[in-house]
Amino acid sequence: MTGMEEFHNGSEGAFNSEEADNIVKECIESVVGGDDYSQSQVNKWTASIVERCLTQLVKSWKPYKYIVTCAVMQKTGAGLHTANSCYWDTAMDGSCTVRWENRTMNCVVSVFAVAIA
Amino acid sequence: MDYYETEEDSALTTFNVEEAKEIIRSAVEGVVGGNVYQHSRVKQWNSSVIEQCLSQLNKLGKPFKYIVNCIIMQKTGAGLQTACACFWDNSTDGCCAVKWENESMHCIVNVFGMAI
Repeated sequence: MTGMEEFHNGSEGAFNSEEADNIVKECIESVVGGDDYSQSQVNKWTASIVERCLTQLVKSWKPYKYIVTCAVMQKTGAGLHTANSCYWDTAMDGSCTVRWENRTMNCVVSVFAVAIA
Repeated sequence: MDYYETEEDSALTTFNVEEAKEIIRSAVEGVVGGNVYQHSRVKQWNSSVIEQCLSQLNKLGKPFKYIVNCIIMQKTGAGLQTACACFWDNSTDGCCAVKWENESMHCIVNVFGMAI
Protein backbone atom coordinates (compact mmCIF):
# COMPACT_ATOMS: atom_id res chain seq x y z
CA MET A 1 0.00 0.00 0.00
CA THR A 2 1.39 3.44 -0.85
CA GLY A 3 0.55 6.81 0.58
CA MET A 4 1.75 10.33 -0.13
CA GLU A 5 2.57 12.81 2.65
CA GLU A 6 3.22 16.52 2.24
CA PHE A 7 3.70 18.68 5.33
CA HIS A 8 0.92 17.14 7.36
CA ASN A 9 0.82 14.50 10.03
CA GLY A 10 -0.24 11.01 9.06
CA SER A 11 -1.83 8.95 11.79
CA GLU A 12 -1.92 5.28 10.90
CA GLY A 13 -2.66 2.24 12.98
CA ALA A 14 -0.66 1.54 16.09
CA PHE A 15 1.90 4.34 15.68
CA ASN A 16 1.19 7.30 17.92
CA SER A 17 2.01 10.21 15.65
CA GLU A 18 0.88 12.86 18.17
CA GLU A 19 3.42 11.66 20.69
CA ALA A 20 6.13 11.67 18.02
CA ASP A 21 5.02 15.16 16.95
CA ASN A 22 5.57 16.48 20.48
CA ILE A 23 8.94 14.80 20.80
CA VAL A 24 10.11 16.30 17.52
CA LYS A 25 8.88 19.84 18.32
CA GLU A 26 10.69 19.74 21.64
CA CYS A 27 13.93 18.55 20.05
CA ILE A 28 13.86 21.22 17.33
CA GLU A 29 13.17 23.99 19.85
CA SER A 30 15.97 22.87 22.11
CA VAL A 31 18.54 22.72 19.28
CA VAL A 32 17.75 25.71 17.04
CA GLY A 33 15.07 27.68 18.87
CA GLY A 34 16.26 31.29 19.06
CA ASP A 35 19.20 30.87 16.66
CA ASP A 36 19.74 32.49 13.27
CA TYR A 37 20.78 30.41 10.26
CA SER A 38 24.51 29.86 10.35
CA GLN A 39 26.39 27.92 7.69
CA SER A 40 29.08 26.87 10.12
CA GLN A 41 26.60 25.49 12.65
CA VAL A 42 23.90 23.96 10.49
CA ASN A 43 25.75 20.66 10.12
CA LYS A 44 25.86 20.29 13.89
CA TRP A 45 22.21 21.31 14.26
CA THR A 46 20.79 18.75 11.83
CA ALA A 47 22.89 16.00 13.40
CA SER A 48 21.73 17.00 16.91
CA ILE A 49 18.09 17.15 15.91
CA VAL A 50 18.01 13.69 14.35
CA GLU A 51 20.04 12.19 17.17
CA ARG A 52 17.85 13.66 19.90
CA CYS A 53 14.61 12.68 18.20
CA LEU A 54 15.82 9.13 17.69
CA THR A 55 16.99 8.80 21.29
CA GLN A 56 13.65 10.01 22.64
CA LEU A 57 11.66 7.75 20.33
CA VAL A 58 13.66 4.68 21.21
CA LYS A 59 13.18 5.37 24.94
CA SER A 60 9.52 4.40 24.58
CA TRP A 61 10.71 0.80 23.99
CA LYS A 62 8.06 0.03 21.40
CA PRO A 63 8.74 -2.72 18.82
CA TYR A 64 9.54 -0.30 15.99
CA LYS A 65 12.40 0.51 13.67
CA TYR A 66 12.73 4.29 13.31
CA ILE A 67 13.98 6.65 10.64
CA VAL A 68 14.29 10.36 11.35
CA THR A 69 15.12 12.84 8.58
CA CYS A 70 15.71 16.55 8.95
CA ALA A 71 16.16 19.35 6.41
CA VAL A 72 17.16 22.88 7.42
CA MET A 73 16.98 25.59 4.81
CA GLN A 74 18.03 29.21 4.93
CA LYS A 75 15.17 31.64 4.25
CA THR A 76 15.94 33.52 1.06
CA GLY A 77 12.70 33.14 -0.83
CA ALA A 78 13.90 30.08 -2.75
CA GLY A 79 11.30 27.43 -3.51
CA LEU A 80 11.54 24.10 -1.71
CA HIS A 81 9.25 21.12 -2.14
CA THR A 82 9.62 17.88 -0.25
CA ALA A 83 7.49 14.74 -0.43
CA ASN A 84 7.73 11.13 0.66
CA SER A 85 5.95 7.89 -0.05
CA CYS A 86 6.06 4.61 1.82
CA TYR A 87 5.47 1.01 0.91
CA TRP A 88 4.60 -0.71 4.18
CA ASP A 89 1.89 -2.12 6.42
CA THR A 90 -0.56 0.75 6.87
CA ALA A 91 -2.17 -0.90 9.90
CA MET A 92 0.98 -0.94 12.00
CA ASP A 93 3.46 1.52 10.49
CA GLY A 94 3.20 5.26 10.50
CA SER A 95 4.92 8.58 10.08
CA CYS A 96 4.71 12.18 11.13
CA THR A 97 6.18 15.33 9.64
CA VAL A 98 6.81 18.54 11.57
CA ARG A 99 7.43 21.88 9.89
CA TRP A 100 9.08 24.55 12.01
CA GLU A 101 10.39 27.98 11.14
CA ASN A 102 11.79 31.14 12.57
CA ARG A 103 12.89 34.41 11.02
CA THR A 104 15.91 33.02 9.19
CA MET A 105 15.29 29.34 8.49
CA ASN A 106 12.85 26.57 7.73
CA CYS A 107 13.16 23.15 9.33
CA VAL A 108 11.28 20.01 8.23
CA VAL A 109 11.60 16.84 10.30
CA SER A 110 9.99 13.52 9.35
CA VAL A 111 9.72 10.46 11.55
CA PHE A 112 8.94 7.05 10.06
CA ALA A 113 8.14 4.08 12.30
CA VAL A 114 8.10 0.57 10.90
CA ALA A 115 6.74 -2.20 13.11
CA ILE A 116 8.93 -5.17 13.79
CA ALA A 117 6.97 -8.39 13.17
CA MET B 1 21.78 -27.66 13.37
CA ASP B 2 23.91 -24.98 11.76
CA TYR B 3 22.37 -22.26 9.66
CA TYR B 4 24.44 -21.43 6.64
CA GLU B 5 23.44 -18.40 4.60
CA THR B 6 24.28 -18.68 0.93
CA GLU B 7 25.22 -15.69 -1.20
CA GLU B 8 21.83 -15.82 -2.88
CA ASP B 9 20.07 -15.71 0.51
CA SER B 10 22.13 -12.73 1.51
CA ALA B 11 21.35 -10.88 -1.72
CA LEU B 12 17.64 -11.30 -1.09
CA THR B 13 17.67 -10.22 2.52
CA THR B 14 20.05 -7.25 2.47
CA PHE B 15 19.47 -3.81 1.02
CA ASN B 16 21.38 -3.32 -2.24
CA VAL B 17 22.61 0.27 -2.32
CA GLU B 18 23.96 0.27 -5.89
CA GLU B 19 20.74 -1.10 -7.28
CA ALA B 20 18.71 1.53 -5.43
CA LYS B 21 21.02 4.33 -6.64
CA GLU B 22 20.54 3.25 -10.25
CA ILE B 23 16.78 3.23 -9.84
CA ILE B 24 16.80 6.71 -8.31
CA ARG B 25 19.13 8.20 -10.93
CA SER B 26 17.05 6.99 -13.83
CA ALA B 27 13.80 8.15 -12.19
CA VAL B 28 15.17 11.66 -11.52
CA GLU B 29 16.71 12.01 -15.00
CA GLY B 30 13.53 10.83 -16.61
CA VAL B 31 11.27 13.23 -14.70
CA VAL B 32 13.24 16.47 -14.21
CA GLY B 33 16.22 16.06 -16.52
CA GLY B 34 16.37 18.99 -18.94
CA ASN B 35 13.73 21.06 -17.10
CA VAL B 36 14.01 24.47 -15.46
CA TYR B 37 12.65 24.95 -11.91
CA GLN B 38 8.97 25.91 -12.09
CA HIS B 39 6.88 26.43 -8.99
CA SER B 40 3.74 25.27 -10.77
CA ARG B 41 5.27 21.95 -11.79
CA VAL B 42 7.46 21.01 -8.86
CA LYS B 43 4.70 19.19 -6.96
CA GLN B 44 4.02 16.99 -9.98
CA TRP B 45 7.72 16.28 -10.45
CA ASN B 46 8.15 15.29 -6.83
CA SER B 47 5.21 12.88 -7.02
CA SER B 48 6.46 11.35 -10.26
CA VAL B 49 10.00 10.80 -9.01
CA ILE B 50 8.74 9.13 -5.86
CA GLU B 51 6.17 6.98 -7.63
CA GLN B 52 8.68 5.76 -10.17
CA CYS B 53 11.29 4.95 -7.54
CA LEU B 54 8.80 3.08 -5.39
CA SER B 55 7.37 1.01 -8.23
CA GLN B 56 10.83 0.08 -9.54
CA LEU B 57 11.93 -0.90 -6.03
CA ASN B 58 8.85 -3.08 -5.57
CA LYS B 59 9.54 -4.78 -8.90
CA LEU B 60 12.74 -6.15 -7.37
CA GLY B 61 10.45 -8.47 -5.43
CA LYS B 62 12.45 -8.43 -2.19
CA PRO B 63 10.81 -8.81 1.24
CA PHE B 64 11.36 -5.14 2.14
CA LYS B 65 9.38 -2.14 3.28
CA TYR B 66 10.49 1.06 1.54
CA ILE B 67 10.42 4.76 2.32
CA VAL B 68 11.31 7.23 -0.45
CA ASN B 69 11.86 10.89 0.34
CA CYS B 70 12.47 13.55 -2.32
CA ILE B 71 13.47 17.21 -1.96
CA ILE B 72 13.53 19.63 -4.88
CA MET B 73 15.01 23.05 -4.24
CA GLN B 74 15.36 26.05 -6.51
CA LYS B 75 18.95 27.25 -6.95
CA THR B 76 19.24 30.73 -5.52
CA GLY B 77 22.28 30.36 -3.31
CA ALA B 78 20.26 29.52 -0.20
CA GLY B 79 21.83 27.00 2.15
CA LEU B 80 20.24 23.59 2.63
CA GLN B 81 21.40 20.88 5.01
CA THR B 82 19.75 17.49 5.44
CA ALA B 83 20.49 14.66 7.86
CA CYS B 84 18.93 11.37 8.90
CA ALA B 85 19.31 8.87 11.73
CA CYS B 86 18.02 5.31 11.74
CA PHE B 87 17.29 2.75 14.43
CA TRP B 88 17.10 -0.62 12.69
CA ASP B 89 18.82 -3.90 11.94
CA ASN B 90 22.25 -3.08 10.51
CA SER B 91 22.72 -6.48 8.94
CA THR B 92 19.68 -6.31 6.64
CA ASP B 93 18.46 -2.71 6.42
CA GLY B 94 20.03 0.14 4.52
CA CYS B 95 19.61 3.51 2.91
CA CYS B 96 21.02 5.53 0.09
CA ALA B 97 20.95 9.17 -0.91
CA VAL B 98 21.31 10.51 -4.43
CA LYS B 99 22.03 14.20 -5.07
CA TRP B 100 21.25 15.48 -8.54
CA GLU B 101 21.36 19.00 -9.95
CA ASN B 102 21.08 21.09 -13.06
CA GLU B 103 21.45 24.88 -13.59
CA SER B 104 18.17 25.76 -11.89
CA MET B 105 17.53 23.21 -9.14
CA HIS B 106 18.82 20.64 -6.70
CA CYS B 107 17.11 17.28 -6.23
CA ILE B 108 17.92 15.04 -3.26
CA VAL B 109 16.32 11.59 -3.05
CA ASN B 110 16.65 9.28 -0.03
CA VAL B 111 15.58 5.65 -0.09
CA PHE B 112 15.33 3.58 3.09
CA GLY B 113 14.81 -0.18 2.89
CA MET B 114 13.87 -2.30 5.87
CA ALA B 115 13.71 -6.08 5.80
CA ILE B 116 10.44 -7.61 6.85
